[in-house]
Amino acid sequence: MNGPTPVTLGAELPVLAPYLVLAVGGLAVMLVDAFSGGRRRDHLSLLTLLVLLGAAAAQGAAPAEPRGATLLGGMLAADRFSRFFNLLTVTIAMLTTVYATSMFERDGRYRADFYPLTLFAALGMMLLAAATDLLSLFLAVETMSLAVYVLVAGERGSLRSSEAGFKYLILGAFASAFLLMGLALLYGQAGATDYASVHRAVQAAPDGGILLPLACGLVLVALGFKVAMVPFHMWTPDVYDGAPAYVTGLMATGVKAAAFAALLRVVWLLPPIAEAWFPLLAVLTVLTMTYGNLVALSQNGLKRMLAYSSIAHAGYLLLGVLAVLNTGRDSATAVQAAAVRDAAGGAILFYLVVYALMNLGAFGVVACLSRSRREEADAIDGYAGLSRRRPFVAATLAVFMFSLAGIPPTAGFVGKFYIFDAVVKAGLVPLAVWGVINSLLSAYYYLRVIVVMYMKPAEGEVHDGHSWEAAFTCGVLALLVLLLGVVPGSFYALAAHTYRQMIF
Amino acid sequence: MTVGLTHYLALAAALFLVGMAGVLIRRNSLIVFMSIEIMLSAANIVFAAYSRLHGDLAGHVFVLMVFAVAAAEAAIGLAILVEIHRRRRSVNVDDLNTLME
Repeated sequence: MNGPTPVTLGAELPVLAPYLVLAVGGLAVMLVDAFSGGRRRDHLSLLTLLVLLGAAAAQGAAPAEPRGATLLGGMLAADRFSRFFNLLTVTIAMLTTVYATSMFERDGRYRADFYPLTLFAALGMMLLAAATDLLSLFLAVETMSLAVYVLVAGERGSLRSSEAGFKYLILGAFASAFLLMGLALLYGQAGATDYASVHRAVQAAPDGGILLPLACGLVLVALGFKVAMVPFHMWTPDVYDGAPAYVTGLMATGVKAAAFAALLRVVWLLPPIAEAWFPLLAVLTVLTMTYGNLVALSQNGLKRMLAYSSIAHAGYLLLGVLAVLNTGRDSATAVQAAAVRDAAGGAILFYLVVYALMNLGAFGVVACLSRSRREEADAIDGYAGLSRRRPFVAATLAVFMFSLAGIPPTAGFVGKFYIFDAVVKAGLVPLAVWGVINSLLSAYYYLRVIVVMYMKPAEGEVHDGHSWEAAFTCGVLALLVLLLGVVPGSFYALAAHTYRQMIF
Repeated sequence: MTVGLTHYLALAAALFLVGMAGVLIRRNSLIVFMSIEIMLSAANIVFAAYSRLHGDLAGHVFVLMVFAVAAAEAAIGLAILVEIHRRRRSVNVDDLNTLME
């Protein structure tokens, strides 16, 4: 913001295009909705998908920037890392749109505000993954969060949805206040808001008083809230449960991926300070994994079970972050440390993608089997006998559950393997062992769903909604999960390469 | 006595803690909202104070952005609150228990 960077907006436009397409597209969808009469809104879903495709195309067409290039005077990074997350976010938003539209069609009632809000939420996620300035970090977090608050709360006439939205909003705003205080103190120490200046200030005064560690802690609290780290997870089960299934999928994958992307950049920014927080962070990571898995064991609703499982998965991802943080200490040489760090960073990116695929798949099955928006396919008992009634959907859900549990030959297994491997290489063997134990524990509740589907006869209330779009999408996702599980090598190499090129 | 940076930081810390206590203790949703606004204001004071100290305008820009975001947050929060109040006739956070199990 304060550098002598020349303003070359014209040259930056092609690189900014994905963000601009989403912003303008969101406004356009809103306008089109305002001018269209009647009850049907399928043209909005088509338009939304076109905007998202346009953003992906703009991203593909964007010229490769030289290494270290930033946009808007240092506000955003134009690196492989942001490109990676832009494409991931667009994919997640497209799948969410497909699920939501299939639910609306079954209901006959469209929810027009969903489409622009999804576009704005996706824009916020993309900006969050690209932010390289304290100001753009804050604005991106808020762009994403404000849109998601409304998405969660906006189901008309549903008290559960309003209540979930309100809880998310109150706790989210509370976390924002922590983030803002942390950013203010960082700004005070650095005298500027761009990451490079903050990094310099941190390096210059590694133990200069209490304010820097405090600032770092406040920022970690806020990001910990977004990724649902214990003890900032209290909102997760209620909000995931109360939000409509199609929005929960977006929250569990998109918001989490974007928050981890921001966390990876921030962590890279603050090494000497983060050192002070390392033991506490390690304890919280262990608690996050264990708590999520233990409570998920006793859940009867699939959405709530997936909410606790998402807490546990945040724990596995935080293990990767710990590995990134720990590399500076034990490794013999700088080259070795860099190699371990790249392995850990690549493992996190790989796992985020895999997690998005399998979780969106699971929520897609929920969307597919829901009879209407009021009767979501939530109760696990309602899945009894699914293998007889709907063999294809049952098979895809089985793939997602195997993958979430981390059983080969699915991508979930490979993703966990890369993470634990990086953790061991970073010299944190006990943490890796604890992660493996947790992953074994989690198999119980994932496999229970499969047992219910394949071995229990259908009785009482069963879920029998139908949507060919959702079923087709789930099939594609299941194939991808299997494919990444069988041949993960080249994609992992891509993820590690992406992480290596990250700038801040 | 001149008012220096330390005074501003102390004021901000006090406001931040008051706001935090309000969020954690008060049960009326509107007061909880107000408390969050107090916390944001505390951060704004820090920004403004450091902006003055460094002779750098970025802090002021940040404060203006925070105003806008806080307004948007309040608008959304109050909208949801109206919807809840219509059905529940209460804005007490302890009454928000539909999702508890």
